[in-house]
Amino acid sequence: MNTIPIDMDLTEKLTILSDAAKYDVACTSSGVDRKGNGRGIGNSIAPGVCHTFSADGRCISLLKILFTNECIFNCAYCLNNRDSDVRRASFTPDEICTITLEFYRRNYIEGLFLSSGIMVSPNYTMELIYQTLHRLRTIHHFNGYIHVKALPGADPELVERTGFLADRMSINLELPTADSLHKLAPCKSRNTILKPMRQIQNRITDNKQELTVYRKAPRFVPAGQSTQMIIGATPENDFQIMSVAEGLYEKFSLKRVFYSAFVNVNGNSMLPALPGGPPLLREHRLYQADWLLRYYHFKVSELLSEERPDFNIFLDPKCDWALRHLEYFPVEVNRASYQTLLRVPGIGYKSAERIVKARKKTCLSFDDLKKIGVVLKRALYFITCSGKMMYNTKLEENYICENLMRDKTQIPKDIREGGYQQISFFDRELQSEFQLTDAEILT
Amino acid sequence: MYIFLCKDSIDGIFTGVYDAWASRYGHQNIALTTHTPDNYSLFDEYISVPCDYDKSAKVARTLYNRMGDETYQEIYQAASALETCHSRKSIDKADAIYKTIVLALSLPDASKVLHYLGNPYINRAFQLSLCTGNEAHHLLGFLRFQELENGILFAQIHPKNDVLPFLGEHFSDRLPEENFMIHDATRNLAVLHPQGKRFFITDTKELNHEMLQRLSPQEMEYRRLWRTFFDNIAIEARINPALQNQNLPKRFRQDITEFQ
Repeated sequence: MNTIPIDMDLTEKLTILSDAAKYDVACTSSGVDRKGNGRGIGNSIAPGVCHTFSADGRCISLLKILFTNECIFNCAYCLNNRDSDVRRASFTPDEICTITLEFYRRNYIEGLFLSSGIMVSPNYTMELIYQTLHRLRTIHHFNGYIHVKALPGADPELVERTGFLADRMSINLELPTADSLHKLAPCKSRNTILKPMRQIQNRITDNKQELTVYRKAPRFVPAGQSTQMIIGATPENDFQIMSVAEGLYEKFSLKRVFYSAFVNVNGNSMLPALPGGPPLLREHRLYQADWLLRYYHFKVSELLSEERPDFNIFLDPKCDWALRHLEYFPVEVNRASYQTLLRVPGIGYKSAERIVKARKKTCLSFDDLKKIGVVLKRALYFITCSGKMMYNTKLEENYICENLMRDKTQIPKDIREGGYQQISFFDRELQSEFQLTDAEILT
Repeated sequence: MYIFLCKDSIDGIFTGVYDAWASRYGHQNIALTTHTPDNYSLFDEYISVPCDYDKSAKVARTLYNRMGDETYQEIYQAASALETCHSRKSIDKADAIYKTIVLALSLPDASKVLHYLGNPYINRAFQLSLCTGNEAHHLLGFLRFQELENGILFAQIHPKNDVLPFLGEHFSDRLPEENFMIHDATRNLAVLHPQGKRFFITDTKELNHEMLQRLSPQEMEYRRLWRTFFDNIAIEARINPALQNQNLPKRFRQDITEFQ
C-alpha cells in the first residue's frame, strides 16, 4: 500500500476521494421530511432535491465521497482494491465537516453521502465514520441529509450508533448471487452483507414502535435503507437479478435497490471487457422493471420467467407485458379500477390517480386524457373511452408491437444518442453488439 | 362581456377576483385578463382594476378557509405562474383562476376543485400551478449562494415564474442563522432574510451592484473545490451531454457556479 503524504492538500484529497466514490449509484436525498429546528443549519424534504447534473447526466444531490480509499479488501471490480496502483488518501472527520457545511451553505449540495474503503479494519473505519457524523450533528448542528454506508463486518453496536445519526443507510449487495460475490469479492460474504441489513431492518421496525410511544424518541435511519447491485460483471440474467431485488423489497423492506451498469475500471482479467461500453440499456430496463415492482403492483414472475429470463431490449417491460396479455385489454378508462389502469402502457401512477378523480365529475374523452398526462401514443391500443377506441386499431400482438416499436422513446434518446453508444433504432449492429456482450458475460 | 384588467401579481389577480365577484354582472358575463389587449373588441366593456391589498387579503382568507391549505397553495402557485407558460395560446391566467374559484365555491367541498381536470379552466389552472411548482422545485437545487465580504450569502436567479416566496420559505427554514438574499433579476425583486428573523420581499431598484462584486476571501477557494468535485464525480464511460441537457436546462446555467 502506498503511504499517504502527510500534508496532502484538501483539493487533492477531494479529487482522489470523489473520484473513488463515483461508482456508487445512490445519490438520492429523498425519504425524509424534516423542518429546520430554528438554529443550526439544514432541513430535508421528502421528494429530495437534485442540485446539479454531472457530465454523465446523473443527478448530484449529495457530496459523495469516500472517507478513505486505503482498502484492505481485494474486490476485483473495485478501483480501490488493495492490489491496484492508485493514489491513496484519507480525510479527517474535521475536513469532511468543513467541506460539507461550506458546500451546504452555498446550496451546492443537499447533504453528505459517506462511504469508505476499509482502512485497518471494518471497525476502525466505521468508528471514524461515526465520529464524523457525530461531529456534524452535535457540534455543528447539521440538520441536512446524511446517507452513510454500513461497512460489511463492522460491529453491530457501531452500526446502530451510526444509524441514529444518519437518514439513510446502505450496504451494497454488490453482486446478485453468493457465487459471484465469492469469486469477485473474496473478503466479503453474503453473511457479512445480509446480517447488518437485517439488523438495520429490525432496528427501523423497533424504532417505529418507539416513535408511536414517544414522539420525540431519536429516529433511526428515517429514510430507510437501500442497496446496490453491479449489472453485467457476472453471468446472472435479468430474472435472477429482479428476483433478488423483489426478495430484498419484500423480506428486507428496502426503500430502493440500485442497479449499476458495470464499468471495467481496472482491466481485471476475471471480468468482461464490454467493448460496447457499459450495459446502459439493460440497466435502464432493470430500473423500469424496478418501478413496476414498487409503484405498479407487478410481480417479477409476471414480467420474466425461466424460459424468458431477460427483458426485451426493444420494448419497455410494461409494454412487453401488455402485449403478452392482450386478453386484459382494451380497458374502459371511465370504469376500470385504479389497479387495472396502472397496468396500461402509457398510463403512469400519477395519471391513473388523476383519471380516478376526474372521472367522478365528467365522462373522460381522449382529449381529456391527453391533458391529464396520459401518453396516448402508447395507451391508444389498450384503452377505450365510452366504449370507443381512439382510432380504428386492431387488438393483435404483431400489429401493436410493430406500431409501438415505431415510437422512438422505447429506447431513451440519451441512450440512443449518448456519447459512447452510438446506436440507431433498427440497427443490426445493435443486436449483435448486445449478443456479443451477453455472450462474453456467459463465457 | 365585462372584462376586468388586473395587474399580473397575486394581489392584482385576487383584487380582480374580488371586484369581478362584487360587480354582480353574473359569472358568465365576466372575464379577467392580466394584459391590455392589442385590439379592444367593440361590444365588451373594459374595467381596469387597481391593486388593493385589503381586497386581495380578503380573497386569500376566504380561499384558504374554504379550500384548505393544499388547494389554496395550488391556486397561489397558478397565480404566480408566467402567463405564457406551458402554451402560448391558451386561456388567460386570471380568467382560469377566476373560473376555478367560482366553481370551487359552488362545490360542497371546495378543496376538491382540482379534480375536475376535464374542465378547461381548471385544467389550465392546474397546468399553471404545475409550472410554478416545478420551477420552484428545480431552483431549490439549482440556486447557488456566494458569500460576500460582509458575510451575507447572495444568490441571483432568472426564473420564468414568480417563485421567490417559495424559495424564501424554504431557505429561511434551512438557513435560519444566515443573512441571505435571493435576487430575482427578471422581476427586480429580492428575498431578504436577516439572521434569526422572518424573510421579506422587497424591490431591488437601489441594489448596490458594486457591493455584490466583493466576495469573501474563502469564496473562490470553495468554488474551486466544488468544481473539482463536480468534474470528478462524472463517470467517463458514461459521459452523456444529451442527458445532462435534458435534466439541467440551459436557461438555468447562467446562474450556476459550476457552469460559469
